[in-house]
Amino acid sequence: MRGFTHYISGLAAATFFPALVADIRMGILVPVIAAASAYFPDFVDFKFGKFFARRDYEIDPAPWDEKKHYAPKLVKIKDLSEKNHYQFFAIEGRVEEILTRGSGTISYEVFDKEGNVKTITEEYNTIVFTLSDGTGRITVEAFGDDYKMFEEEFGQIEEGRELLVFGYVDVDPDGSLRFIVSDAPHPQGIAETIAEAIEKAYEEGEKIVKIHNIRLPGDVYRQFWIHLDPPKREVRVEMGPIVTPGGVAIGGDVPEYRKYGIAKVNVPFIKTYPKPTRIDSFSGPEIAFRLTKHQGKPVVKDRFLPWHHGFSHSMTMGVIIGAVVFLLAKLFGYSHATDLALASMIGQWLHVFEDQLGFMGSNLFPPITKDVIPGFKLGESGSGLTNFSTAWLMIALMIWNFNRFTDPRPIPIGDAKLLLYLIWPSIIGFGIAIVKSFRLRKEIAQLMDYYTNLEAFEEMEEVGGI
Amino acid sequence: MLPLSDLLIWSFAGVLFGSLISWIPGFHIYNIIALLVAVFGVGELMPVQAFPFFAVGAIVAYAYVSAISSVYFSVADESAVFLLFPTQRYLLLGRGHEAVLLYLIGAVAGTIILVLGLLFVFPKVLPPIYQATSPYITYFLVAIVLFMFMSEWPKEGDRGKTVKERLWLAWRQILGGIFVFFLSGILGFIIMNTNILPTTSAYTRLTPMFIGFFGMSWVVLNILSNPPMLPQKPEDKIESSIYNTLKASFGGAFGGTIAAVYPIITGGMGALVAGHMTSQRGDDAFIISQGVNRVIYYVGAFSLLFLPNLRLTRGAGAWLVSSLYTPKSHSEYIAAVGVILLASGISFLFTYGLSKIIARSFNVMHIKKISYFVAAVLVVISYLLTDWMGVVVLFVSTAIGLMAAAFNTRRSYCLGGLILPVLVSMTGHTGAFIHLLGLG
Repeated sequence: MRGFTHYISGLAAATFFPALVADIRMGILVPVIAAASAYFPDFVDFKFGKFFARRDYEIDPAPWDEKKHYAPKLVKIKDLSEKNHYQFFAIEGRVEEILTRGSGTISYEVFDKEGNVKTITEEYNTIVFTLSDGTGRITVEAFGDDYKMFEEEFGQIEEGRELLVFGYVDVDPDGSLRFIVSDAPHPQGIAETIAEAIEKAYEEGEKIVKIHNIRLPGDVYRQFWIHLDPPKREVRVEMGPIVTPGGVAIGGDVPEYRKYGIAKVNVPFIKTYPKPTRIDSFSGPEIAFRLTKHQGKPVVKDRFLPWHHGFSHSMTMGVIIGAVVFLLAKLFGYSHATDLALASMIGQWLHVFEDQLGFMGSNLFPPITKDVIPGFKLGESGSGLTNFSTAWLMIALMIWNFNRFTDPRPIPIGDAKLLLYLIWPSIIGFGIAIVKSFRLRKEIAQLMDYYTNLEAFEEMEEVGGI
Repeated sequence: MLPLSDLLIWSFAGVLFGSLISWIPGFHIYNIIALLVAVFGVGELMPVQAFPFFAVGAIVAYAYVSAISSVYFSVADESAVFLLFPTQRYLLLGRGHEAVLLYLIGAVAGTIILVLGLLFVFPKVLPPIYQATSPYITYFLVAIVLFMFMSEWPKEGDRGKTVKERLWLAWRQILGGIFVFFLSGILGFIIMNTNILPTTSAYTRLTPMFIGFFGMSWVVLNILSNPPMLPQKPEDKIESSIYNTLKASFGGAFGGTIAAVYPIITGGMGALVAGHMTSQRGDDAFIISQGVNRVIYYVGAFSLLFLPNLRLTRGAGAWLVSSLYTPKSHSEYIAAVGVILLASGISFLFTYGLSKIIARSFNVMHIKKISYFVAAVLVVISYLLTDWMGVVVLFVSTAIGLMAAAFNTRRSYCLGGLILPVLVSMTGHTGAFIHLLGLG
């Protein structure tokens, strides 16, 4: 659920205690601590936990310019190395020598939504030249659609001309670097690193991958998707269009020949959520790959945002928060310390329960439980329907409690009747959410069945059954 | 009540007045109405009973026509030094007119929701709900402020090389927001609780501060960033969906209603709450919801002054009007609803037409030149309303508004200028705070 949904649940929790309601009416605002407690798990995770989290692999397809805070970063040629393979940069320099000008034929593979491959062959124009910036020299190549873009930007290229070129770094088989004119990084680097992390996790237990997003001038982002394809043992990365932070695509699609990156994985892995991971605005995600057992066999499983929904999202944490609030309230002489502590604990528990309605689940009772207990899959955390239904329920409960605990009652009708008048939008909202959730639960169940059957298939293959 | 013909004439005058000034960046209808009252007075040129209807017309026009200034004249430079609003992104893509159209869709939806609410829902539902919840307004206000701080999304920090660096980058922005809030709050507290501004400016003493926070700081940014004036497409085409429109209308209406009914809670704060509750995403949805939100917030809040069985005074416009004349009859309430519809129709056409003209001729006059002119006018308004000290306040609050932009935090933290002193007063700590600041 979204932050405010949790927060308002804490506000509502406090209103179930008549003493706290009386305090609020008198202008004593301490009960707002219950709301802060309800939001606390996300506050801790997103303001601290996220930054303390370990990163075994850090994928930065387009490093930021340190001053402007967007890509591409203006680099010196001497600073580039094999480590920058496929990363997106800008280089400013002088054309030293034109090596090739001409045309040819290019063949590349494209994938459909199911990951099926199709080979495409087409004619292209090209230019290859060396660029020098005083610190070194690099071969620059523009071809296909990128050649058109390059030609539109610079016109006829002559030796001695000063240029600011965008593109990604490529590495030749002999280890020498080339700079390929483009408006995005090549997705192959992302795919290869994720595949390597999965393989390492299979050997060593767990690897966490941090994937940075691609921010471009004008506060827009290059969208890309990561598809984990366990049946094909592949990681596919698809480079998408440029989008605004609000998710509106504004063009800038990349040519097909550098749209996909694909890397084979040599160990079994499964994906627990039936959708690809999309990366665009805000920050990029962290994905943990953990060695686990599926149908008794070792397999690597993904876990989105591994620092999230841990101890902070446990019932145990709620008890700790209650105890701390109680001690502090007593220390400062607040007369309803017990009520406040209970409201704070319930507020935090409501957060845990509300998140448990989603997909990720939480580690509910550490140290007794060690890992997350899967969620009820009622809806995604960003679902407007479940968020509104929950928040509205909390508003309704607040009004209901304010009315119950005021004499004379501002709304002079029976408690049950008033509650029904107030909460009907939430009842309808949850009803729709439950019906919608069946479809997704079915998809996930089918996916898991598929993995199970797939492994049986592989086993037969190993013993020569097919 | 005034004869219908007079009522229509003054309402129309209000729409015309509001339309003519609301597209200018940095101008706020409340400031201009205050200036009108201060300079010309009401009762001589205009009958006092006509003033609420004139104000309704002007406020409706502002809710619609101000889309022009927020889309075309809050221009960012291409490098986008700071994070951009969706409307600015549309402008940078040459889609300013589309942003205005999206806003207008929201404004029309907001008007329909508001009128239906005023006719069928508010008179029955608002009084009991308000009765039940009004003793807890301070609690809600504190809760929203605390949530604003707690929910600030760290936009940086991810790329720090060490944990320490990451934490610093993230918290630099969060602490910057808190700093802006308290700095604004102290300024607001000083203005409200000292004689720094002349006592004759009782109704307009906060005006220069708000002009600085939200008007002048944008104008200064326009001058400093010297943005390119990009060609704009004047075609009547939008990219959105019915689902997004409905969802955004619902969220915008919800946030606007909260802000309209409860004091101190502004449209931005209401939108923050409603945006989280309905989990909005998408620039088109954001702009549509802004249209809904602003109509319900500005017009709805003012309309509550007419509501016979509740009659709440919400917003500077309502306070200004109620100091001269408060509508009393049910027929005035119904007439106000009619004026809202009429004014909305005229304002819609005016905004649409003006947007087309500006889109076609966007690069004729550079925003920098307009900004210099507007900056001068804002200084003059501040001087006329609050004398030289008002101009000093204007400069200080402009600096604070620029700080919010520099820290990359929410500009709504500047509302600390209103929220902090009101909270201190509501909780009975004004004396202690005056002592703490060494003011007495």
